[in-house]
Amino acid sequence: MSNFDKNALPEWTTQAKRLLDDSANGLDAATLSRLNRARQAALTTRARRPAQFWFLPAGLASACALLLALAVWQPHHAGGDVSSPSAAAVAADVDDGSADTPEFYQDLEFYAWLDAQNAQRKEGEG
Amino acid sequence: MTLSAGTIPAPIPTDSAERVDAVSTNQRALDEFLRGVERRALRMAELGCGNRDDALDLVQDAMCGFVRNYAAKPAAEWAPLFYRVLDSRLNDLHRRRNVRNRWLAVFDRHESEDGDYVDPLSQTPDLQEPGPLLRLAGSEAGKALDAALQNLPGRQRQAFLLRLWEGFDVATTAKVMQCSEGSVKTHLSRALAALRRALEDHQ
Repeated sequence: MSNFDKNALPEWTTQAKRLLDDSANGLDAATLSRLNRARQAALTTRARRPAQFWFLPAGLASACALLLALAVWQPHHAGGDVSSPSAAAVAADVDDGSADTPEFYQDLEFYAWLDAQNAQRKEGEG
Repeated sequence: MTLSAGTIPAPIPTDSAERVDAVSTNQRALDEFLRGVERRALRMAELGCGNRDDALDLVQDAMCGFVRNYAAKPAAEWAPLFYRVLDSRLNDLHRRRNVRNRWLAVFDRHESEDGDYVDPLSQTPDLQEPGPLLRLAGSEAGKALDAALQNLPGRQRQAFLLRLWEGFDVATTAKVMQCSEGSVKTHLSRALAALRRALEDHQ
């Protein structure tokens, strides 16, 4: 670290450095004790750190899961639009037996949209 | 579950044992590092704030901040990072003092209106007054150097202490001071000139 050219510095800086070293080495016992306590306190902070380290990612993961749940739940409960009848209404209209299959429920959104399109076309023709 | 005297506890998995070893090694290295820099850090902080108690608080804050944020960095980078944290804490202290002094100035003005004038200069610390350490040492040169360093502008003092005392090269000093290498050279040159003037009588 001390790779600078010491010859470029004035001679008195060597004495200054020595004086500073002496002042650091001659600290009184009370000060050294406080420094020791400060160091121990800092190292204790380090020991406690791993538990706190996971708070942020855990919080982020929880928030993401909540947002995902809301995003999945929201479209199925956004009723009230006249042009797009609810999926439940579409399921009630279809009584040919295909409503019992899982494929039907997976495509429920599509059938709702199809129904809305048909309704609009009929209004246009009438 | 209670263990009888002869019961051998289950062996710790190798990964866990290695991790524990690595953590304890890192703790030891950190302890040694902090032990190595704490005295110089205290003196630097003391020269920067002019008060031993404030300097001790600053060093403790810097140690905690350093360990919290940079302990995982390679050990070779610790010294500049530690001094950067210390410098940051010192700047925070100066900012707080400035705000407090502004408020105190308002109250002083009110007091002076009541006829009880308090000279602001009498409230400032006497920079020529040596610290307890130097008083005990009884060194005129030490006192003069202490006073001259306290009188230096903060950036010049920092450049001088980091380059000359801590022994950082220009690039590392620039990293700690968060300025260009040219600025470090300028600050150091001005610091040397100012210190030379102040210490001429003691050479």
